Amino acid sequence: MADPFVEVQNVWKRFGRQWVLRDLSLAVERGEVVALLGPNGVGKTTLLRVIATLIRPQRGTVRLFGKPARALEAERGRIALVANPPAFYRHLSGEENLEQALALAGRPIARAEALEAMARVGLPEGRAVAAYSSGMRKRLALARTLLARPQLLLLDEPETALDAGGREELVRVIGEVAREGAVVLATHDHGFAAEVATRSFAMGAQA
Amino acid sequence: MLALRDLRLEWRGRAGLLSAFSFIAVVLFIMGIAFGPDEANLRRAGPGVLWVALAFAGSMLASRAWALEVENETLDDLLLTPGSREWIYVGKLLFLWLLMIVMGAFLLVLVAAWFYLPLAAWPQLFVTLVLGGTGYTVIAAFYAGLTVRLRARDVLLYLLVFPMILPVVLAAVKATLGIAFGAEFAEIVSWWKLLGVFDVVYLTLCVLLFPGVIEG
Repeated sequence: MADPFVEVQNVWKRFGRQWVLRDLSLAVERGEVVALLGPNGVGKTTLLRVIATLIRPQRGTVRLFGKPARALEAERGRIALVANPPAFYRHLSGEENLEQALALAGRPIARAEALEAMARVGLPEGRAVAAYSSGMRKRLALARTLLARPQLLLLDEPETALDAGGREELVRVIGEVAREGAVVLATHDHGFAAEVATRSFAMGAQA
Repeated sequence: MLALRDLRLEWRGRAGLLSAFSFIAVVLFIMGIAFGPDEANLRRAGPGVLWVALAFAGSMLASRAWALEVENETLDDLLLTPGSREWIYVGKLLFLWLLMIVMGAFLLVLVAAWFYLPLAAWPQLFVTLVLGGTGYTVIAAFYAGLTVRLRARDVLLYLLVFPMILPVVLAAVKATLGIAFGAEFAEIVSWWKLLGVFDVVYLTLCVLLFPGVIEG
């Protein structure tokens, strides 16, 4: 049997004296969309960041694509984390941000590709990200995901600030990634989780 | 790639460069007034003024190199870049180094004009600037990365960096003094060698330690 796409085993993580994750285990298979559900402060974002190898748990192991997360340096480009709100360089335009992000990931793109992805998510060209609304930033994050084609997509409250059109595009992107990989998303919206997720993971019960 | 992107961002914002250049101008003005018009005094003080101004302005720029990621909340995206995280440090170091050399060259001209530093010896001054500037930026870029997530990062940066760069500043000042007063070339070279050793040792240590310190 193939290894799970994501395997979090008995993970403990604390900030200062506060334990945020306690003996948490989760496995995500290829093709799954797992929604992390739970109230504020239960550790959904922390779990996403642990999976993304951005923070190291005090105890426990994380394996991605069948390998220890720490041994994934060259393959980190297979992971995309979209924070809430998504982070971009404010002084650069949307298309410049896309070009920079992809170039740093070792997959340089032409300006036309960036503009095409932006057009797909309904964003205008030539505007600095500083002038974007929250929803436009979310759309730009979708465009970045489309271009990066990650195998593991981690989303932190992706549905917030999106209008109906943006939400539809988000659902499509999640479906596209899940066809070849897996998606783990943190949300408070049970309706959204029911709409896109193949499985929900209630964190209050574990943490 | 990272260094080029940071240069582009800095050029768009210009906040760090403007602050550093303004700081340098103010320090030179105050020091110039404080040491009075006596040429011998100014000549003796010049190398110290040069490296103190460069060190403080360099700390401002080092902080700026990482502040770009904090202001834009893009540090996580940077850490998710494929490849070993040493390269993030090297990218930031290169960005800072380029700014330091440009700023140092500008400062050399100003100090030469006001503190009688012999610009005729510019190749020697430039070698000293490159060796001293490298040692300084290696340390400053490392500690600026180490403190990037902390609220008191600007204060901590000065407290952490200055004890570590003391040997670099001392050797650089000695080499510059030697150049200013026409010392034997061999004596200047001996300070360059010391700076070179610092540069190699600090760079090796910082590259090795960086991936461990940047993770949350």
